[in-house]
Amino acid sequence: MSASILTIASRIINQLIRDRRTLILIIVVPLVIASLVGVSVPDKRILDYTAPAILAVLILFFGFLLTGISFLRERSQGTLERLMASPVSRLDIVGGYLLGFLLFAVLQTMVLFFYLIYVLNVNFYGDLWQIIVFQVLIGIGAVCMGTFFSVLAKNEFQMVQFIPMIIVPQMFLCGLLWPVEQMPEYLQWLANVLPMTYGVSGIRALMLQGQSLLEIGKEIGVLAAYAVGLLILAAVTLRRGSG
Amino acid sequence: MPESSSGPAVEVNKLSFAYGRQQVLDEFSLEVPGGISFGLLGPNGAGKTTLIRLLVGLLKAKAGTILTLGRKPSPKIAHLIGYMPQLPSLYGELSVIQNVEFFARIYRLRDRKQRAQRVEKVIRLVDLWEDRNKSVMSLSGGMKQRASLACAIVHNPPLLFLDEPTVGLDPELRVTFWEYFSALTRQGATLIISSHTMDDAAHCDRLAFMRDGRVIALGSPDELRQAAGRAQATLEDAFLHFVRREEKKDVG
Repeated sequence: MSASILTIASRIINQLIRDRRTLILIIVVPLVIASLVGVSVPDKRILDYTAPAILAVLILFFGFLLTGISFLRERSQGTLERLMASPVSRLDIVGGYLLGFLLFAVLQTMVLFFYLIYVLNVNFYGDLWQIIVFQVLIGIGAVCMGTFFSVLAKNEFQMVQFIPMIIVPQMFLCGLLWPVEQMPEYLQWLANVLPMTYGVSGIRALMLQGQSLLEIGKEIGVLAAYAVGLLILAAVTLRRGSG
Repeated sequence: MPESSSGPAVEVNKLSFAYGRQQVLDEFSLEVPGGISFGLLGPNGAGKTTLIRLLVGLLKAKAGTILTLGRKPSPKIAHLIGYMPQLPSLYGELSVIQNVEFFARIYRLRDRKQRAQRVEKVIRLVDLWEDRNKSVMSLSGGMKQRASLACAIVHNPPLLFLDEPTVGLDPELRVTFWEYFSALTRQGATLIISSHTMDDAAHCDRLAFMRDGRVIALGSPDELRQAAGRAQATLEDAFLHFVRREEKKDVG
């Protein structure tokens, strides 16, 4: 791994550590959302079914939002221009972002996971490390997606508008609220091309059925393909000559 | 100071650039010798910032050639170049020292002890050592400009591009900045500074007056004053003299 990736990642970590309010919100808001779901569902079995999907969807949501806004600020305050005039490569910049935000994604996953298991008493059958590895994969896709879409936004307001466009449809169609198989056929087709459908299906297999990563090869393959594709798109859109 | 070529620091030949249909630079040529402070002077919209962004490799020319330190602008020579954009371009949440340290690492100052010494030296140079642990967002505009300069020079580049570095500074701080710049050229660095104030122009070793994406006059401040044809001419008089001459040419 290049030294520049580590430098950029450590800078992102330093920034978030110094921005205590944002750091607290990253940890507390998912717990509030999980608690709302936990106390509002009438049947414990529904919570068991929904909890893994919440874990996956919240990583997607926060990964996308945090990276998108951060990258946009990097552009608007001119620091991205300064980085692009330096010896670091585009892949170093995206890689640094990836590594920096993934550490927070892992932290967020662990806090939320233990909250779901020990406070909301969600039943769970899989291995924690396998769940974290899978969550990291979802996080990579979310960070690359946030980076890529930040290129299309000119300000933070526009970036936030991408949430109902990009994230909310995935939340409704991924199987978080009702099974994909029960949707109309054309929506099933749409759901099957969205990455979050595979994220939710994979995390449920790990947490509810106690399967291993080896048994969810299709989900891992689709998420990895999305992550690589978005990583390339994110790096390409950071063209040095783009101005 | 890192390696540099012995030829001109910057050579620009018949450079053209447009934003869409808006032509910003048209067959622009310029040669800047090494070890001097060179001022790009002109009103807003003259093409100064676009030229600097082309020279540091942030924009790609539509036509013409650019050589910085004898080579085409690319990430391969980026470690030899310092760039201070118009905006302070710093990480607001981080402290002054964290910002400077970050850019020192980005510019490949790998040895921890040497890096720490260099970071301290440039922060002291811009007189922010007492404020090094303050977050950048809590600093005044002038202090941010000084921190931004520290980030641009931390790797001791032989060629430095400063885009309107004195904008928004009070007169006292402006003098201080010019003392930094003189110290850098005495050490052998080449400084290319854009500005639209004639106060800055008077401090430069050589100047290019720019208007509408073209160089309308080139020379030392004294040469340009003399060319205005009046004994007590200021640089402002000289600039207006060359602007009127160009307007006559255009009409003719």
